[in-house]
Amino acid sequence: MVSFHRFVSIKKKVKSWSSGAATMQGGYSGIGYGLKYQSRCISDVKADTDHTSFITGTLSLREENEVHLIRISSGGTELICEGLFSHPNEIWDLASCPFDQRIFSTVFSNGESYGAAIWQIPELYGQLNSPQLERIASLDEHVGKINCVLWWPSGRHDKLISIDDENLFLWTLDCSKKAAKVQSKQSSGMLHYLSGGAWDPHDINAVATTCESSVQFWDLRTMKKTNAIERAHIRNANYDMKNNHILVTAEDESGIHIWDIRKPKIPVKELPGHTHWTWTVTCNPEYDGLILSAGTDSTVNLWMAPASAEDEATSESIAESPTQQADPLLNSYSDYEDSVYGLAWSSREPWIFASLSYDGRVVVESVKPFLSRK
Amino acid sequence: MVEREKTRTDDVPLDDKAKRMRDLLSSFYNPDHSSAPKPPSDYENLDAINSTSFDPDHYMNVLVQKSNLEGLLRRHVEMAAEIKNLDTDLQMLVYENYNKFISATDAIKWMKSNIVGMQADMEQLLDKIMSVQSRSDGVNTSLFEKREHIEKLHRTRNLLRKVQFIYDLPARLSKCIKSEAYADAVKFYIGAMPIFKAYGDSSFQDCKGASEEAIVTVVKNLQAKLFSDSESIQARAEAAVLLKQLDFPVHSLQAKLLEKLEQSLGDLQLKTVRIENILRESNDPSKQGKPFESIPSTGHEVSVHGFAEAIRAYRVIFPDSESQLIKLAQNLVIKHFEMIKQCVKRRISSANFLGALRTIWTDVLLMDEVLSEASLADFSLEAGQVTVKKYVASTFTYLLQDISDALLKVKVSPKEEAEEHALKLALEASKKAVLQGSMDLLLDFRQLLDDDLGLLVKLREFIVDWVQKGFQDFFRALDDRFLLLSGRKNPSSQDQGLSEGAPGEKVLVGIVLVLAQLSVFFEQTTIPRISEEIAASFSGDGARGYENEHAFASGEIRQIFRSAAEKLLHHYINMRTQRVSTLLRKRFTTPNWVKHKEPREVHMFVDLFVQELRAVQSEVKQILPVGLMRKHHRSDSNGSTNSSRSNALLDDRMTQKGRSQLLETHLAKLFKQKVEIFTKVESTQESVETTIVKLCLKSLQEFVRLKTFNRSGFQQIQLDVQFLRTILREIIEVEDAIDFLLDEVIVAASERCFDPVPLEPPILDKLVQVKLARSKEQSK
Repeated sequence: MVSFHRFVSIKKKVKSWSSGAATMQGGYSGIGYGLKYQSRCISDVKADTDHTSFITGTLSLREENEVHLIRISSGGTELICEGLFSHPNEIWDLASCPFDQRIFSTVFSNGESYGAAIWQIPELYGQLNSPQLERIASLDEHVGKINCVLWWPSGRHDKLISIDDENLFLWTLDCSKKAAKVQSKQSSGMLHYLSGGAWDPHDINAVATTCESSVQFWDLRTMKKTNAIERAHIRNANYDMKNNHILVTAEDESGIHIWDIRKPKIPVKELPGHTHWTWTVTCNPEYDGLILSAGTDSTVNLWMAPASAEDEATSESIAESPTQQADPLLNSYSDYEDSVYGLAWSSREPWIFASLSYDGRVVVESVKPFLSRK
Repeated sequence: MVEREKTRTDDVPLDDKAKRMRDLLSSFYNPDHSSAPKPPSDYENLDAINSTSFDPDHYMNVLVQKSNLEGLLRRHVEMAAEIKNLDTDLQMLVYENYNKFISATDAIKWMKSNIVGMQADMEQLLDKIMSVQSRSDGVNTSLFEKREHIEKLHRTRNLLRKVQFIYDLPARLSKCIKSEAYADAVKFYIGAMPIFKAYGDSSFQDCKGASEEAIVTVVKNLQAKLFSDSESIQARAEAAVLLKQLDFPVHSLQAKLLEKLEQSLGDLQLKTVRIENILRESNDPSKQGKPFESIPSTGHEVSVHGFAEAIRAYRVIFPDSESQLIKLAQNLVIKHFEMIKQCVKRRISSANFLGALRTIWTDVLLMDEVLSEASLADFSLEAGQVTVKKYVASTFTYLLQDISDALLKVKVSPKEEAEEHALKLALEASKKAVLQGSMDLLLDFRQLLDDDLGLLVKLREFIVDWVQKGFQDFFRALDDRFLLLSGRKNPSSQDQGLSEGAPGEKVLVGIVLVLAQLSVFFEQTTIPRISEEIAASFSGDGARGYENEHAFASGEIRQIFRSAAEKLLHHYINMRTQRVSTLLRKRFTTPNWVKHKEPREVHMFVDLFVQELRAVQSEVKQILPVGLMRKHHRSDSNGSTNSSRSNALLDDRMTQKGRSQLLETHLAKLFKQKVEIFTKVESTQESVETTIVKLCLKSLQEFVRLKTFNRSGFQQIQLDVQFLRTILREIIEVEDAIDFLLDEVIVAASERCFDPVPLEPPILDKLVQVKLARSKEQSK
């Protein structure tokens, strides 16, 4: 907390007090952490095998933005700010490098134009007075609005993907030379405005991108579309880390769908999602069928929806017999003040997840009580 | 000889006296009788005076010793009397003996004199007999030749008569044919057969030919008789027998006749088809009044009677043909039921169905009488079971169809009628369709139950079961159908054979609301009533163990519809907000907000949004009930102050150049009651309306958050929201949450703005007023 307090202004003190009060009021089990400004994105620092840490960045148009590296204390009772770095622009997307805990990518905007960059946290940042992030590479081939930068989630890979409104870029990243080169680029085609994507953890050459009317699947070797799920308003997609071919999507109005990408016509399963938009969805890296979703109704929902074969037959009849099936909704965390846009499972302790609501509050929760039900 | 006579006379009377006499006599004639003298034992032998060992001295001594004087005297008197008696007896015997001896001697004497001279007579008799015999022999030999001749003549005559008969046969046969005495004809012909067989090729060729010709005619006539329906069965049976006697191939005849029967069966079918046609016509509402059975079934009955008669005849004629007949009769029943099945496919009223069943049953009973071996009753019971089951099932299908139709009608012509009433009409129509339909259905099934038709009585338990199960399945199917109609269900996973709305076709949003409300209606009204009704008249009195399986579980069904109602309501809200979302998405993705020009007027998306809201309102007003908790209206003036206050708040925020803005927001939130934006939706007008508005405003907020604005862009949002705030008040009940959300939109816009300087209140008000005036003008 010492390093944290160095940067804390008076308002911040009030702020953390307020969140503390909220903690008291709500009486929930999660531990909280307050960011200075509004923020949208949080990422698990997968490469940090010694601690459970997350990295998050603020989204403020007019203020100086920050990147926070936070860690769960050894007792697991509080969140400690491990590092606080200023970031030149408001951060719209942030992803930690899965093989180097000091590297992460951001997508940022100054309000008019977008940029994406790979950053490295300087060594000895604890000792420095005001540590500066080191920009390893700029992914500056983009023209329009950049949506996200993807790392291959399953291990070391020198490729990166960045997605803007119209294009899909495959970059070759050389950390030592501090350079990123475009390896290939593919336009999504007319009238397909991309909004995001996911890299298949089971297939290094498969990427799914979301656009207004569908989810498209790409083969990175040929940069050709291989398949598509026709479905409107998909906001977020996430591959199941445990099961091959399973993709979970979140949609604005119609909830969460689980797909077997070999059968793109009908979803394997359907979950009601959130009262308002379902913003993001993420599969647990360890526990089968455990899905988190966050929505603009200021809740985070924990689902248990195994997409195994035996469920396929019954999944279509969910609507018919709600009484016969156990409610897939395990828990709904509703103690948020604003829409929740950021959500990340910890890969080190897979029963822990961090959520980030728009008002800049990070809440880390454990789903252990619900796992025992299995 | 004399002795013998004596014993014979003694044999007759057997009194004491006679016995003694006989003993005496026997002792006289047979002195050895008591040759073994018994030693005189004192007392017993005292009286045995007759025995040879009688010792008078001893007797005397004993007597004297033993008896007193008086006794001796009495003994003496007794003895004297006895002795006297014996003397007289002896005298009589002697006399009789003598008499007999004399008569015997006389007889011998007479015989001796008569026998002489008999020999001569006998010899004379012998002579005479001998002469008679020789004479008769003579006559015999002399007549023998003549008799021989006569016999020959007689034989010839017989032969001649036969020949005559054969020569006459053709004529006789034709005569028989003329008089239709076929039996005689056949008898004659068969009588002549052996001769024809023996001599047919030579001497009687012509005759044979002629008579064969005649017999061919006979056969022909007989066949005609056999096949003619006008003849009596007896006559036809006789004809068959005669034909058989004539060695005619009866089997082919049998087959032919069977064919004919089958043909008549076909005719019957044709007739019944016609009946069914009539039946269908009578199903028309115009002819509904006519009782079904009166017209067509009479004709039908007659023909079935005919068929039954034919079968009876056939059985008489060919007694060994049962199996074929059974097959035939079963065929008839099968065809009948097939026909009903066809009709059931077409939808018929229960009265008609009953009528048809009754017709079949009477037919079956008729046939059963004739052909009990076929056990047609059982057979038709089986077939009937299937049919009735099918009928029950199809009735439910039709009810389902009716409801869908009632709903789809709106879908087909939504624009033609005044929009305000279309949905209401649909709701009412489908409510009525369900309630009335299911009540009618129950009534129909009651009819089935109450009917005393043998077939149905046996099926009663099954019917009760089927009806219960039918309702269960019906409501499940209805639920499915609702989901399908609402487009919630993925149509590709469903069979689309039934659904008329093409899967690609866009579902009319209002229908979903109608469905939702209909589900509520089902849950609250229809299902309890039906279950009541079922309990009243279909309680499975006979249905035993399996009752639990099929019983109509109203609780479960109500649960299904309760959740369906909720789901559909949510779906409706979803669909509505989705439309607004699309609108908003377009609004926010198209312009470059960073280079926005100064706001001149309220953007048209607000109009579109309001238009959508009005559409929702009109739908909701038609379908949903008014909520109970209705807040009193806020006055318009109150509204304006409210808006100015919020402006002031905004001004405040802006002047601080947003530095402490976040802090302030948080502080505000801290001290403000957390506004529950998303409360549970109730199926009332207000709840649905406000929920939709809230969801849309939240979407608006989210869209704003994703953009970055310049000052003008922010002011545009400010203006739009301000107008929206005003106009919303006119349209719906505005709760705090809505106000809060409207504020939030502006806050979000200011946060996402480089230079959040709001419009001056006078300008803002003016622009809003202009817009209000214009929209009022347009609406007028």
